[in-house]
Amino acid sequence: MNSATSAENSQADLADVERVLSGDAGAFEGIVRRWQGPLINMAWRYSRDRGRAEEMAQEAFVRAWRGLARWRRESSFSTWLFALAANVYRTELKRFPVETLPLEAAPEPAGLATQLHEMEERGRHEVLRRAVLALPMRYREPVVLFYFHEMDVAAAAHTLGMPEGTLKARLSRARTLLRQRFPQLDEEHDSHTSQKTHSVGHPHFSRSEIAEETGREAVR
Amino acid sequence: MNRARTEHSETEHARIEMVMDKILAGEEELLPSSGFVGAVMDRVRQEAAMPAPIPFPWMKAIPLLLLAGGGIAWGTVEMVRAGVTGLSLNALGLTGLSQLKQSWLMFQLLQLSAVQMRSLEQAGWVALALGISLLSWLLSRRLVGSGGLL
Repeated sequence: MNSATSAENSQADLADVERVLSGDAGAFEGIVRRWQGPLINMAWRYSRDRGRAEEMAQEAFVRAWRGLARWRRESSFSTWLFALAANVYRTELKRFPVETLPLEAAPEPAGLATQLHEMEERGRHEVLRRAVLALPMRYREPVVLFYFHEMDVAAAAHTLGMPEGTLKARLSRARTLLRQRFPQLDEEHDSHTSQKTHSVGHPHFSRSEIAEETGREAVR
Repeated sequence: MNRARTEHSETEHARIEMVMDKILAGEEELLPSSGFVGAVMDRVRQEAAMPAPIPFPWMKAIPLLLLAGGGIAWGTVEMVRAGVTGLSLNALGLTGLSQLKQSWLMFQLLQLSAVQMRSLEQAGWVALALGISLLSWLLSRRLVGSGGLL
């Protein structure tokens, strides 16, 4: 989103919020139209389930509607909305955790046909994305929000309401865990056009791996 | 040799993370379904049509809670004071080890005067009422929370 569009959105958000607070419920539609894409995509990154992502985003909008008066104009509307949505998604996922078993149980993409290569690659990428969901929540959220905010550490830290340093540390731990789980990513990058089939690993992190990483963070 | 290995390892890590960044950042955008805005606005209009929830009467509850807290504190102080007196009497007069082993609470209760007993009883009722109120408040919060109303 460029800065001009961003400024326009901020103005429109402010105007809509004022109208809603003065009793015009219909003005909330403008906010929903502007932010439906980002909120659904953020929920998608949390759940990797399209239907659930829309339900979670809907819940976030309803909570935003209820709590609109609590938005203090200190931060931008989008920052407030993303932080609220992150809270809603976290609560939803605690109540009904993401089920990752079906994908893990699915057979690995295999075969040497050229036309299957792209599909295999997509499958491998999806396994990595799902592996993010297998991380403990303290590491998962920084990863999800870091990439959702197009690798903007400050924005991700704002959404999570934590210092940038903490976010960076957790991000680093999460990447280490993922790197250890997917050492073949480098190889994949090298042989982008080859027909070689790689094992994608299992998107589960053992307790010892997590404990080891958590321990390291605690020591530091 | 070790240094070269470390450098190689770091380079490898950096490359893996670069690929990881490419995969995780380069995700296709989901387009919202056509009925999404309508569904959200339906819920918003439903909420708008509902009467505002009755706020908890903190202004009335706080003095009562303070009063009850004070009652409990006073009751506790009285009870401890009576207990200390009872134990002193016991130590001076009846030094038998078997008697000291008796339930100290029962002994204190026997030492209390009628007035103290009445105060203690009242404090007990207040404490019980407060406990029940707290439990019912926690239960209602839990029920409302699980219904997604909070």
